[in-house]
Amino acid sequence: MGGQACVLYGAAEFSRDADFAILASPENLGRLHGALEDLQADVIAVPPFDVEYLIRGHAIHFRCRHPEAFGFRVDVMSRLRGVAPFPELWARRTSWDVSEDVAVDSLSLPDLVASKKTQRDKDWPMVRRLVEVSYDSGFSSPTPERVEFWLRELRTPDLLLDCVRWFPEEARHIAHQRAAVQAALAGDAAGIEGSFAAEETRERELDRLYWEPLKRELEALRHQRGQKG
Amino acid sequence: MRNDSGPRQRPERSPAIEGCVEEEVLEWYRMSPQERWAESMRLWDTFYQLGGQLEPEPDSQSPFDDAGARRAGPADGRPGVRAVRRSGV
Repeated sequence: MGGQACVLYGAAEFSRDADFAILASPENLGRLHGALEDLQADVIAVPPFDVEYLIRGHAIHFRCRHPEAFGFRVDVMSRLRGVAPFPELWARRTSWDVSEDVAVDSLSLPDLVASKKTQRDKDWPMVRRLVEVSYDSGFSSPTPERVEFWLRELRTPDLLLDCVRWFPEEARHIAHQRAAVQAALAGDAAGIEGSFAAEETRERELDRLYWEPLKRELEALRHQRGQKG
Repeated sequence: MRNDSGPRQRPERSPAIEGCVEEEVLEWYRMSPQERWAESMRLWDTFYQLGGQLEPEPDSQSPFDDAGARRAGPADGRPGVRAVRRSGV
């Protein structure tokens, strides 16, 4: 769901870890345990590998000891801020045949973009690039869904201006929902930039608020572990 | 295509993107997912063979960041997710 998905969609060159969104069901966790055993993966840091933490939105962090993946980090989550519950994510996933014998499932592009709207600086260029690639590759076949996605998510001012020029009806239709589109329709480049900044500030704050109680839990777990250790 | 001056033929790709995205980045964008995956694996091999660090870089903005357990930064000094290539340097 993370960096590897960004590679497949074209926004990144490579990632040195792998992030998985999983269904936190007993059966699926059993399969995950098996896969992690194959990788000789140990939990690192906190929290421990416990379904309760996954359900509450924590990530569980592993490091692999298998010789072919030695040191590789694997992070597992079951719930992501700002996106639908796992069954919906799974239903609209993208499946990739990355080579003759390897197939990979990832978050759909809109879900990946939504999941990247975090409080971290490094995620925002990814959001921009993910939508740029979509705009570039999908321009010749602009389905209504795709055009709406671009209008809602483009974060490159000149491309949003371009998009509203090519798709003015669609832009007018959703302008009341996105100030940046309103600004683009008015040809107001500064207004677009300001709207992007406001969107980012809002999402960062929502992400910070989402993680605040979870971070307190992590700090308590670290404290407990420190006392034991 | 539609715009205020009436219908026009929509090109295969929007010319606007070439003014917004560097040429090398655009090349990466325009690879197939399979090509990107293969290239990414090659980059991974090189990174690993050169002793690239697998520890995530300290990121005080990450909710997972444990400032108390922070180790020294990665030897390559770069983030865990590598941005698409940049020209020049």
